[in-house]
Amino acid sequence: MNNNLRLRPEEKAALSLRELYADKGCSFYRMSRFEEYDFYADKKDFLTSRNILTFTDINGRLMALRPDVTLSIIKHVRDIPGQVQKFFYDEKVYRVPRNSQSFHEISQAGIEFIGSLDEKNICEVIELALESLHSVSHGRRCVLDIADAGLIAKLIPEHNKRGILKCIAEKNIHELRALNAPEEIIKLMSPDLSLQEVLSPVIFDSLKKYHDEIHADYSVINISSLNYYNGLIFRGFIEGIPESILSGGQYDNLLHMMGHDKDSKAIGFAVYLDLLDLSERN
Amino acid sequence: MINIALPKGRLGVRVYKLFSDAGYEFEGILDSNRKLVFENEALDMRCFWVKPFDVPVYVERGTADIGVAGKDILLERSPDVYELADLKAGFCRMAVASKNDFVDDPEKVLRVATEFPNIARNYYSGLGREIDIITLRGSLELAPVLGLSDVIVDIVETGTTLRENNLHVINYIADLSARLIANKSAYKFKGEQINEIIGRLLNNNDKDN
Repeated sequence: MNNNLRLRPEEKAALSLRELYADKGCSFYRMSRFEEYDFYADKKDFLTSRNILTFTDINGRLMALRPDVTLSIIKHVRDIPGQVQKFFYDEKVYRVPRNSQSFHEISQAGIEFIGSLDEKNICEVIELALESLHSVSHGRRCVLDIADAGLIAKLIPEHNKRGILKCIAEKNIHELRALNAPEEIIKLMSPDLSLQEVLSPVIFDSLKKYHDEIHADYSVINISSLNYYNGLIFRGFIEGIPESILSGGQYDNLLHMMGHDKDSKAIGFAVYLDLLDLSERN
Repeated sequence: MINIALPKGRLGVRVYKLFSDAGYEFEGILDSNRKLVFENEALDMRCFWVKPFDVPVYVERGTADIGVAGKDILLERSPDVYELADLKAGFCRMAVASKNDFVDDPEKVLRVATEFPNIARNYYSGLGREIDIITLRGSLELAPVLGLSDVIVDIVETGTTLRENNLHVINYIADLSARLIANKSAYKFKGEQINEIIGRLLNNNDKDN
């Protein structure tokens, strides 16, 4: 084939993910690339990079190039009582990656389920996360780490909270002890932690065929996660890609902060497609 | 294959001894030549020397699966890696030091000379103190002696250099030692081998102490 027409790895992956999500009954969500800057400014903790690319539009309003998709979807979707709305997207976001000195345009695909979620919906999302990993992994091994953000929120003391969360993300047990972290938290860091201690019996049973690939691992929780995530939180890894390529979780807190019904819930994840290009180069 | 980044220099030699005592040997690694990469096929391991400050970069970006870095460098760079073990080697402390006769005036912006601007910034922002950071590359003791800074934030091992220059420690910021770090993704897929290495390193360490 003419090289000019050949799709890049991230474009191929985006197409296969779109197909997967559409097959599972999600509807495509298209959104504007811009939002008013103020919209993001007070939710910086939720964003993986705190830098936001801004410009002034012709009316003099300060605008931002979208650094995140989830926030925009939550903002624009209206609750429909008793229903679960399922969306997928394939968009560019603009942010400064870790260890980078400049803004990058990053391809991101993902799904969001919003509404009267039950455990069946949560299973569906976790299954879709695993299927997403497989769909872009080209046969390489995949792992989905999962933890319960709600449990950590309950166990963590106010004193030394930031230090303890940092150690959790680093699997740094020696310093957790030095910080006098509660023994219950240190126990959760054990490499032998079983999946049953994280998942409810219903979710555990219905994900049976994936048990080898789902690991209970509390290091997926970081300092800002607890402000927004309240239930399961997860990260996906593919062998040979040096960082997590998928991340998501249940974020009812964020939904309520943004004015949705108190009984509405939300769960979703994003796949960072630009990392596929990195793995091709390694 | 497990790739290991070790810090070039004094700490690296000490850390390599922990590896060799635990049965992980790399032929010719301590010879003085320009070779940087050493492989042990039987162990299926490869080891390379990098600048101490760069170890977290190699590990975070996955070129190395694991590495050994001083806690000072981890505090300064805050890499997104796992810190799996304290190897209890190369003990020292991060400290604030000043001239013996320095009297701090809290109303003035404090001039801080350091090789670790992020550590200094985090420490003083925790105290709510406004500072002016002067980033230097070594010979920190000179800064307060010549009046370039009020204090220095630096690594203190025995305190001899400070004393020789009429300086003394005002506060300790953190205890430092060599830490074993791992790439988060590599740990998912090579966790068993990595845990075995750590187990053997720590086991030997305990026997020595």
